[in-house]
Amino acid sequence: MSLPFPNGFIGNPSIQFRRFPLKACGNDIQNIMEFTISNPILNRREGLYYYLAIWLVIAVLHTLLLRHLHELPLSWLTAILDSAVFNFLFAIVGLGFWYPSKFISLEKGRAARVLISHALASVVISTLWVGAGYAILKNLIFNEPNYQSFLYSSVPIRLLIGVLFYFVLVAFYYVLIYYQHFHQKQMQEAELKSLVRDAELRTLKFQINPHFIFNSLNSINALTLSNPAKAAEMTIKLGDYLRYTLSKNDQQQSTLKEELDSAKLYLDIEKVRFGEKFEFLEEVERPCLETRVPNMLLQPLFENAIKHGVYESLDKVHIKFTCRQQGDYVQITVENDFDPQAPSRKGKGIGLENIQHRLRMTYHQENLLRIEQEAQLFRVHILIPNDARPAWQKP
Amino acid sequence: MAKTIKVVIIDDESPAREVIKNYLNDFSDVEIAAECSNGFDGLKAIQERQPDLIFLDIQMPKISGFEMLELLDDPPVIVFSTAYDQYALQAFEKSAADYLLKPYSRERFREAMNRALLFVKDKTKQQTIVTGLLRYRDTQKEFLERIVVKDGVHIIIIPVEKLLWLEAQDDYVMLYLKEGKFLKQKTMKYFEDHLDPQEFVRVHRSFIVSISFIKQIDLFGKESYRLVLANGQTLPVSKSGHRRLKEILK
Repeated sequence: MSLPFPNGFIGNPSIQFRRFPLKACGNDIQNIMEFTISNPILNRREGLYYYLAIWLVIAVLHTLLLRHLHELPLSWLTAILDSAVFNFLFAIVGLGFWYPSKFISLEKGRAARVLISHALASVVISTLWVGAGYAILKNLIFNEPNYQSFLYSSVPIRLLIGVLFYFVLVAFYYVLIYYQHFHQKQMQEAELKSLVRDAELRTLKFQINPHFIFNSLNSINALTLSNPAKAAEMTIKLGDYLRYTLSKNDQQQSTLKEELDSAKLYLDIEKVRFGEKFEFLEEVERPCLETRVPNMLLQPLFENAIKHGVYESLDKVHIKFTCRQQGDYVQITVENDFDPQAPSRKGKGIGLENIQHRLRMTYHQENLLRIEQEAQLFRVHILIPNDARPAWQKP
Repeated sequence: MAKTIKVVIIDDESPAREVIKNYLNDFSDVEIAAECSNGFDGLKAIQERQPDLIFLDIQMPKISGFEMLELLDDPPVIVFSTAYDQYALQAFEKSAADYLLKPYSRERFREAMNRALLFVKDKTKQQTIVTGLLRYRDTQKEFLERIVVKDGVHIIIIPVEKLLWLEAQDDYVMLYLKEGKFLKQKTMKYFEDHLDPQEFVRVHRSFIVSISFIKQIDLFGKESYRLVLANGQTLPVSKSGHRRLKEILK
């Protein structure tokens, strides 16, 4: 076996963290750290493009506003410069707001505290921003007297806009964080579900009854004394049967033929134990044998037939297997006669319930298993949908 | 010259009987009186052939090895021969009766046989073991699903759902069914412990009743009650019995 995962591990390998293009960091803790603080805008190239595009729109609006709405029209160049400096500065600083948004958690902190923290941050950022912009533009555009006074008088409104921008950006980041958490949670849930399903499938599968093994060994012991050749044959059958049963742990389906062959091994072994006490009949339409079915589907049926039919009866019991195409389904039937006088044994029905459950989980259809009980006949029908692409195979 | 030991083998699998027969070849003075593939035949063979020793499987059709033992008044020496069975194992350990776990070797069989032969010489030992074994089994708190009784030469298997009511009769309990009544050598306490208390109530020192068979509960005199059953029969109810009834029917 060369599987990198523990036996039977089938679900998605694990949640893949989006990685920064930092090759050096090898260990996972670092990856997780990166994941938690990395800015989603810088993470992907499109993110950055969208971000810059939005700022470009804002900058254009800003320019037009300065050109047309102000009572003292400014020159195109002045308007463009003003807009470019202020908006570029904020665009750069705005990338950093990711960190306060990430660390001032909405879920953990109290609302008032969160609000105060951000209010303080917004005032400080806005002041620095306007201060920096003011200093640059004052020295850049010195030949337009109208502009100098305008720049001075516009400081309060610019401060206000800075605070507003801050809050809009932070709100945007919070939405992103919320979405990320939501997405992560969804993936974890899906993962968990698939793990639970795999585990359930494993436990639902047929478990070899120790009684059967010990009694078979005892029969082999008897045959070594009376008929060594037959003992050898039975040992090999038991070996094949056990191998089939055990090998099915990491594979979820087999063909009906494989299932039937293994069931026949089981019946052959029981035949040695019980001799003429039962007879096995089969009625099979050839093509049906190629049907893919959940593995270990037939064993519990035959085990039931033996347990409730042969173990409990004093007379000969017939066990019959039929398999035929019926409309959109392949119908599998196992029937056995039983002694209606025999008191019901404990545990009856659990095996069948398990099969029903497995069929439901595999094909997402109800009523694929049907039980019929007549005077002395017990019959189990199983329907396997023809277009059966079992759930685990669907992309 | 030692007297011949008569043996009966009871096992539903013929290979299992073959092993025992083969291993028995090592012993002289042993006569295989009968081979049986179920408890009914076993019981009959034991009664007819009066063996000194039996080899007994536990899991068999219709009635188990234990149930067959319950029906024997004077059981012979028993060597159990069985596959894995948790409960049986516990019982064996407690009672120290000998048992063979399938598959077993010739040597192990010989040991069991030698021990059994000692018991054949001194049957009182065996008696205590069997009683101990059955008593141990009675202490297991598992609800009964069926009761096996002997009615003359017939063995009758009664599913507990068919029980209507039970009445204490000295060392026995009389089981009443629609089809008739049967005696079983057990105590009321045993049935009280081994019948589902959601279905069976001990209404009186001498009576246990299936709830679904009760028609009505009448006040009878001052603070005393009596039950009327679905068939019209009346049974007395003790104070504690009335309390138990109220508890379940509320």
